[in-house]
Amino acid sequence: MIEVKLHDIVEGLTEGEILHFFVKPGDRVQVDQPVAEVQTDKMVAELPSPASGIVKKIVVEEGETVEVGTVLLYIENEDGHQADKMDKKEMNVKERKEPEKRNTHPSPFGRVLATPYTRKIARDHQINIEEVPPSDPSGRVTEEDVYQYIRQKQQQKSLPKTPEEKCKTKMEGKQLAEHGLVEEVPLTRVRKQISEKMKQSLFTIPHVTSFDEVDMTKLMKVAGELKESGTPITIAAFLIKAVVKALKDFPVFNAELDEKCEKIILKKYYNIGIAVDTPQGLFVPVIQDADKKSVKKIHDEVKRLNEKARNGNLTPGDVKNGTFTVSNVGPLGSTGATPIINAPETALIAFHKTRKMPVSGPNDEIRIARMMNVSFSFDHRVADGLTAVQFINRFKELVEEPHKLFLELI
Amino acid sequence: MKELGISGPDQGLNLNKLLAYKEKIIRILRSGVESLCKHNKVEIVRGKAYFLSDDRIGVENGHQFDIFQFEHALIATGSISVMPDGLVKNGKRTILSHEIFQLEEIPHHLIVYGNDYITLEVATTFHAFGSKVTLLWEKKNNFPFDESVNKELLRLLKRKKITVYKNAVVQHAEETTEDITVHFHSSGLKRDLTGTYLFMAGNRRPDKAEMGLERIGVQFTENGFVRTNENMETSVPSVYAVGDVTGPPFLAVKAIKQGKTAVEKIAGKKTELDFTFLPEVVHTIPPVVSAGLTEHEARKTAGEIRISRFPLSSGGYGWITGKKDGFIKVISDAKTDLILGIHMIGEGAVELSGHFVQLLEMAAREEDAKFPLYAHPSFNEGLLEAVEGLIGQAVHIHPKIVT
Repeated sequence: MIEVKLHDIVEGLTEGEILHFFVKPGDRVQVDQPVAEVQTDKMVAELPSPASGIVKKIVVEEGETVEVGTVLLYIENEDGHQADKMDKKEMNVKERKEPEKRNTHPSPFGRVLATPYTRKIARDHQINIEEVPPSDPSGRVTEEDVYQYIRQKQQQKSLPKTPEEKCKTKMEGKQLAEHGLVEEVPLTRVRKQISEKMKQSLFTIPHVTSFDEVDMTKLMKVAGELKESGTPITIAAFLIKAVVKALKDFPVFNAELDEKCEKIILKKYYNIGIAVDTPQGLFVPVIQDADKKSVKKIHDEVKRLNEKARNGNLTPGDVKNGTFTVSNVGPLGSTGATPIINAPETALIAFHKTRKMPVSGPNDEIRIARMMNVSFSFDHRVADGLTAVQFINRFKELVEEPHKLFLELI
Repeated sequence: MKELGISGPDQGLNLNKLLAYKEKIIRILRSGVESLCKHNKVEIVRGKAYFLSDDRIGVENGHQFDIFQFEHALIATGSISVMPDGLVKNGKRTILSHEIFQLEEIPHHLIVYGNDYITLEVATTFHAFGSKVTLLWEKKNNFPFDESVNKELLRLLKRKKITVYKNAVVQHAEETTEDITVHFHSSGLKRDLTGTYLFMAGNRRPDKAEMGLERIGVQFTENGFVRTNENMETSVPSVYAVGDVTGPPFLAVKAIKQGKTAVEKIAGKKTELDFTFLPEVVHTIPPVVSAGLTEHEARKTAGEIRISRFPLSSGGYGWITGKKDGFIKVISDAKTDLILGIHMIGEGAVELSGHFVQLLEMAAREEDAKFPLYAHPSFNEGLLEAVEGLIGQAVHIHPKIVT
């Protein structure tokens, strides 16, 4: 019998609401077949079955909110071998956690197992040997365990900012809040994740941002004509198509750096993430295989994913495996930014507001063009400024002369 | 040998010579201790002492009376044996533990009554002296050791023709000039027995008479012993107490450790007192030693255990010396290999007890005891064989008798 537990299908998940079970007792399920639909505060996720077999019992009701690790249902396995493996995996996790507890486990003698010498070290350091977690599976506390415990205690003492202390400074904030001078907003789980991810990305990747402006006049004309003919296509869909084309020419920006193995992994698939702002925070749903999709199809995808994100209905499949990210902040009105790369990707491009601007033509005539600023951030570990500029130039070319984009259509 | 009172084979024991020898040795050891004190600049003041306050003690010796001021005082006055509850001493043929080794004749028939190590030691010692011995095992169904040891001990006593009455309760005794008749119950039956002397282990009371402890506020246990904490401090911060005066078990091993602990504490050191592996040592013939858990205790606390017994008759040295009685028994935890208990009855047990306790204190696993090299031939290689027997590797244990 296999326990199917709610696990962290989404990074950082701690609890979720069981919306729906796809199976009922008696059903036969295959490995990885979805068995339940789980609502998290980020998205709706499907929980896959860890093994094949027959659903024996469902122990959680639909609509119930449960913590990660809670058993949802039991499957009687047919494939005994695989089931064993799964069970063992679970066991290992449990065992690894145990040492913390073991010191409360009574030895046959009713006292902690330790040599007189080890006991003396603990005594001399004013440490209760009963508190020292043993590293030895028999529960014997060694000399090294005691020293490790002493070091740990000293570290705890010397750490200037334990969470408690941090909260102390917050306390001052609280007093301000009481006077109405500040307002405290607790970090939501999504906010915390964004904060963690951004921090990690910015701290590990040496960012460089390159700015440029793109003449959108012709593209907007094309889009306008399409709209008139009853096929409205968002500008973003063209831009994404152009990005994919440019990426094919400069694959280093559709890549991942593997520092450990000292190599750059160039990806032959083009999954373009689109940054979507929602009241809950920033989400990046992904258009899978954008290179194999028509502009029309990309348009549909952008629309669909935008809606899903806004309604909080994104599934894990919607946010997986991005290779490059675009951020369309134009509608919001900015003219420049230094975007943070969506690690482990190597680059990101932001499209800013398109404005009517006077520009000089080939014969020095002044005309009114529709100009859009772009900010292109890239990982300086994998590429240099020259490549970035070449990439932007290629992108620009495709957008400014949309007929060239047609040439690239497969 | 002559000094011990044994002039030759088959010539019996000259008890007076043995007593003289005993006095002589005690004198030598005492003067040795006095010399150690002197060289360590420890002054010995003789007399009857009593506490005047928590920092002053008076010592009276004849007409002399001195008052000493102290920072710390340590009480180590021991215990005295008294008659068992409900019995009164009404003659010289009823003797207690401090009197038995001063007896100037070898009793023809010694009746021994008690349930502690002294009882067993007196029984086997006087049997060796040539007395007929009857053992009345007081109020208990069995000896206090591991079940295998209890069985072997009973077997060896019977072979010495020492009759053992378990669950015995002496009602009263009548003395004549010649002998003493003891009336007792044993396992529900009323019996009478006539012997030359009746030895009683009796009860032990703390020796704290007229010391003035109550006056300075020292507290006592329900049974009247001085109450101490794990540092051997009494309820009065400047006063410490160690040994029998602090209560059972009444063992010198324990008192020695307590004394050192108290002094370490006074010297400002951090101390630890832990009698988990206090060995039970009984100087019977042959001796008995018990350290750690008995088989019964191990089954209760550890669950799955391994047991191995090495009979001394399976080893060469038992045959060479003619001391083949008894065995070494080792108990280990089947899951962790941890050695849980070591028990021995047989020649060499007292000397080996240190080895047993050390293994236990070091939290030894089977391999820790199996790996080292042991003298051959010797009694201590019996320990090696017993440990090897836990995993079926003992070369000299007949496969059939492995328990």
